[in-house]
Amino acid sequence: MGAVLRCSGLRKAFGDIQAVDDVGFEIAPGETYGLLGPNGAGKTTSISMIAGLLHPDAGEIEVLGTRMTPRALDAKAAVGLVPQDLAIYPDLTARENLHFFGRLQHMSRHDVRARSDEILEVIGLRERSDDRAGEFSGGMKRRLNIGIGLLHQPRLLILDEPTVGVDPQSRNAILESVEALAVEGLAVLYTTHYMEEAERLCRRIAIVDQGRIVAEGTRRELIDTISEQDIVRLKVAGDVHAAAVACDALPSVSSADAEDDEVVCLLDQAASSLPALLAAVSSVDASVVGVEVREPDLEDVFLYLTGRALRD
Amino acid sequence: MVKVWAIVRVELTRLLRDRSNLFFVFLFPLLLIVFIGAQFGSDFSTRLGVVADAGDAEAASLIAALDDLEGITTVAFDSREELADEVDRGRISAGVVLPDGYGDALRAVEPVEVVFLGRPDATSASLQALVGAALAEQVLPGAAATLLVSGRAAVGAPPVEAAELREVALAVEDQASRIEVSATTLGVDELAEEFAGLGQFDIGASSQLFLFTFLTSLTGAGALIQTRQYGVATRMLSTPTSTFSVLLGTGGGRLAIALFQAVYIVVISTVAFGVNWGDPLGATAVILLFAVGAAAAAMVVGSVFSTDSQAAGAGIGIGLGAAALGGSMVPIELYPETVAQVARITPHFWANEAMAELVRRDGTIVDILPQLAALGGFAVALVALGSWTLSRALVR
Ligand SMILES: Nc1ncnc2c1ncn2[C@@H]1O[C@H](COP(=O)(O)OP(=O)(O)O)[C@@H](O)[C@H]1O
Ligand SMILES: [Mg+2]
Repeated sequence: MGAVLRCSGLRKAFGDIQAVDDVGFEIAPGETYGLLGPNGAGKTTSISMIAGLLHPDAGEIEVLGTRMTPRALDAKAAVGLVPQDLAIYPDLTARENLHFFGRLQHMSRHDVRARSDEILEVIGLRERSDDRAGEFSGGMKRRLNIGIGLLHQPRLLILDEPTVGVDPQSRNAILESVEALAVEGLAVLYTTHYMEEAERLCRRIAIVDQGRIVAEGTRRELIDTISEQDIVRLKVAGDVHAAAVACDALPSVSSADAEDDEVVCLLDQAASSLPALLAAVSSVDASVVGVEVREPDLEDVFLYLTGRALRD
Repeated sequence: MVKVWAIVRVELTRLLRDRSNLFFVFLFPLLLIVFIGAQFGSDFSTRLGVVADAGDAEAASLIAALDDLEGITTVAFDSREELADEVDRGRISAGVVLPDGYGDALRAVEPVEVVFLGRPDATSASLQALVGAALAEQVLPGAAATLLVSGRAAVGAPPVEAAELREVALAVEDQASRIEVSATTLGVDELAEEFAGLGQFDIGASSQLFLFTFLTSLTGAGALIQTRQYGVATRMLSTPTSTFSVLLGTGGGRLAIALFQAVYIVVISTVAFGVNWGDPLGATAVILLFAVGAAAAAMVVGSVFSTDSQAAGAGIGIGLGAAALGGSMVPIELYPETVAQVARITPHFWANEAMAELVRRDGTIVDILPQLAALGGFAVALVALGSWTLSRALVR
């Protein structure tokens, strides 16, 4: 069985903004694939094209071997989209919302009823199924939003930042159900700007920034791009930016960036380089008030690749 | 088709679930039909302003005579300026100013100057004729007396006071059991004729139907904006549902709401007030075409605005404005000619005209073909515009 989703060379511009610039990847059955990037990276725009809501300026999209376009209704039937912004009727009940979208999915009346009950159970809203969605908490609305995307048993589930604005408990419930779905063989495309979510859920991750995939691979592969290196965080009193520049100038340092009141350095051997770092900071009339040395994570990869923090 | 129907049903469900709609859709139209019916039934008449000395018996009898005319109500004013002002504003159709000492002058058979204040329209002209006739009746005995005086002088008879002769002439007139001159009824107000023989609520009901069908449809456009804002519209497009089906469903939802409002008013007004809707085929055609136009107008409003409150404001503004201009609040016959011309840009105008033909003149569908054509034109143009704007708004 081939890939569930295959896309390549996707581009989309809005006026002068190149929102998506040459994005491409594949997702196999049962695989959860992550798009990790900050706000405005182009995740939602990519997803809109993949779900056939938006015409790409260039590029190819195939879902189960069928070309996806805004008119490709067959391809759309295989996809369950869970939009970033809630897409439910607040004045309808949870069940009515499910029924409505079920009908739009070619499901028979009987199937819609049976599946709605199943889904209500899965998303933990069985007790509240006849209450209006507008009365739900943020987390409950999110779960209903996801439930609608699962109703018709799609082959590819697209989740666009499903945990934004959700309390920690609901968030955990959402992550667990995504894990369970992947086990059942569903292909999932998951976007987020939370590194921990991408690390926990996704086998492979694409790091996106300004419309481009700047790196792709498993967590291990991504971290290995800044291989064997260590992260040293220096808490600095004084001019942080000048300190970062001074550190960057050292031969043993491969990158140094200012982040709040810290300088984040990526270097080969933390232990032997520390004195040089401290000296460099002192040389610009700043002083080091704290030091942390650790293994890099995806945030560091992003910082290393783009020079900016994942979350600002 | 299943999907289109699913969308239509959801729209209707949402309309009925919104409590604020319950008042506006169900109760308010009823209240207005009753209110307007009461207005037309009791006091539908042309208002004629009068300035006169309160203690003047002759003036009082002239005013009483004018008041007695069918379709005319006199309204007393203190000064000519005040009266002229109201006539200018169109709140009073025309006015008569009787000078102080009007009665004395009549009795003494002296010349008096009566001023008529009118507007350049047909109502004023017919009022002027009526006032002229009433005045003539009062002046006639004096005129006859003057004639006699000069006649006697010509033949050398001894002089007599004109005022005394007038008394004689009045006495003669009384005796002669007053052969009524038809001049009084000559200028019978065309409005009174137009609305004669109508049930009390017949006028209110059809014009209110158009007002509310359009208004409910437009204010419902907010729901369309919500559908877009909630992202539900986009989500519909992510399912195997074509843009065309979504358009058809949303447009159909709007149409269902417009028709729902229209049918509600027809049924309730017929059952509760015995309103006559004229030729059923004609009335159905008018209401159907009007509802399509109203639904499509709602699609336009629901697409070009981006927030709920903008759409609600625009909906109420356009809904009431078009209704007022198109003769759904005040009969178009009361408008000056130029305004009546401009009113043709509203579907209400054509719908009201068509219903006037059906209800007041017992017309059939054949008699209202021009109006149906105009309504059809509105429907086609608005549906085209609505589909275009909405399909663009959906993908935004
Ligand atoms: N409809 C649109 N019109 C104009 N610009 C847009 C539109 N949608 C997105 N953008 C721009 O494209 C870029 C990518 O946005 P988006 O795909 O929403 O990013 P993300 O989902 O990663 O936060 C941003 O700069 C955003 O402002
Ligand atoms: Mg986004």
